[in-house]
Amino acid sequence: MKLRIAILVTTLLLLSTQVFAGTTAANASTVSPTMKIGVTVQKAVQLTLTTGSQCTVSGGSGTDYQMTFGTVDALGISVPTCGSVYAPTTPGVTPAVYYSDYKLTPAFSGQSGATSGTVTAYVSTNFTNTAVLAVVQANAAPSSISSLTAMSITSATPTSVGTTLANGTAITRYVGVQVSVQNGASAFTGADSAVVTYTLTTP
Amino acid sequence: MSDRSISKNPGNASVRQFHEGSEFQPRKGGTVFLQRLSLLIVAMLLVSPLARGTLTLQTGTGIVIGGAHPNFTGTLGNVNGLGVGTPSAGVNVITTGVTGGVLYTTPYVLNMSGLPGGNSATVTAYVSTNFAHPAILNLYSCPINTSCTTFSSFTDLSTSPAAPTTVIPSPGVENNSSSTAYLGLFVANTNGASAFTGANSATITFVATRVSNGSTNDTVKLALNNETVQNAVQLLMATASGLAITTGSGTDFAMNFGNVNGLGIAPPAGLTVTSVAGGVVYATSYFLQPTFSSFTSTTGTLKAYVSTDFANDTVLQLDTATAIGGPFTAISKTSAAQTMLTSSAASGTNFTGYLGLFVSNVNGTGAFNGADSAILTYTLTVP
Repeated sequence: MKLRIAILVTTLLLLSTQVFAGTTAANASTVSPTMKIGVTVQKAVQLTLTTGSQCTVSGGSGTDYQMTFGTVDALGISVPTCGSVYAPTTPGVTPAVYYSDYKLTPAFSGQSGATSGTVTAYVSTNFTNTAVLAVVQANAAPSSISSLTAMSITSATPTSVGTTLANGTAITRYVGVQVSVQNGASAFTGADSAVVTYTLTTP
Repeated sequence: MSDRSISKNPGNASVRQFHEGSEFQPRKGGTVFLQRLSLLIVAMLLVSPLARGTLTLQTGTGIVIGGAHPNFTGTLGNVNGLGVGTPSAGVNVITTGVTGGVLYTTPYVLNMSGLPGGNSATVTAYVSTNFAHPAILNLYSCPINTSCTTFSSFTDLSTSPAAPTTVIPSPGVENNSSSTAYLGLFVANTNGASAFTGANSATITFVATRVSNGSTNDTVKLALNNETVQNAVQLLMATASGLAITTGSGTDFAMNFGNVNGLGIAPPAGLTVTSVAGGVVYATSYFLQPTFSSFTSTTGTLKAYVSTDFANDTVLQLDTATAIGGPFTAISKTSAAQTMLTSSAASGTNFTGYLGLFVSNVNGTGAFNGADSAILTYTLTVP
């Protein structure tokens, strides 16, 4: 009897010789290998500048973006290449301002501490002819020339461009060039440029 | 001569007496000749079988050779056209260099005995009874004194007794020598109408030949009974043009997306980023490599599901697509309802899949930074 049982068990074992492995199987019609997917999620921030309704924001050379105001003058006589111009309050005495709108889009991800961000800006490289040219800005559509104020030229005390900014939502801001009246030795005509650095921070 | 013979007759007994009562009365002189002739014939009869030599097949480090001279038996057991699974004891599988299947190999010993001194013998073999499915099963041979580790070492075993395959080549082996040769069993990976599964048998006839005169020393047979062809499946994964697929730890394969974020900034090499609602999808191509053997169907299905999800499944999700740029759909997380990748996977043909990793750009309490992992289970099924 024991012998018969042993034979039966042996026979059953032989009949059920399915060999399973991760990637292969014999005497079977299915095989199921596995693959582990590894990933490391990092938090991220992104600040994008795009064209508003006026001057074009394009990719910069040596900077991320660039905007060009074209020909300007302290009397506001030159027709803006793009954007708008405020003529001086007192021509020949007070400056004129050429400005344009643009868009800022803050985006951030994986920021467990906050759901909003702040954007600041400062003039990291000022015009060479600072007696004539200065960067001005406004966080809302300027209603007068005085609405456009000088942008900070100090990284330690940047100008606030926006607070509690929503993730992925574009905001419209205004940036311009103030052209002051200078004649004589301080007078300047020609091309010049400045660089503004924007900073998005999520708490 | 007769005198000498008579002189050896003790007591000079008559020839009749000497032959213990034989009625034959030979002539004087012929008696001794017949005596010696008889002794010679008897001696030849006694010595002749040994002088021809005996070939014995014996178990070496391979399969068990059973039976007895001149009918031996053996079996390589369960085999398949992919060479997957564990072969029988003493059996190895060669896959490299073999076209259309694999070669199962096993060593065996040929022992020559009974050869007269100074003689040697060669051995040839042929398939005297072939498998009923010769397109699926085919016997190969690797001669003695050969490194029988590659397919090129083996030759197709002849099925013609007139042109047998050499197993022990000239100058042959001497008396009482044991030599190891290898037997090969090619198993085709055929699918479709001509596929075969089940037991099949064949017989090999070995012929030992004396080198000195070309006479046949011995002929023995080896019956290979119940070589059982099984179907088999295999599913491998390989790197396509995207992320590298490596051997896994605890899984069969592994893929690492590296550092990712919900904005898709600075994607690692090999990844394509697509912005979608709520985040981005990092995508990569990869290869699924299905192979199967001895199925009547020539196509199978490839499915996948997330068998172990990310711990942070609100931030991370595995997607599939038919193109690197999407559109992407979430891969099933249920074994019972797996995501179909293709229903027409052909054996030996790479299937290009696109795996997407959705990363949410959520902030606040639902945000997550750090390492995470998930496991995908792919399934090849051949009907």
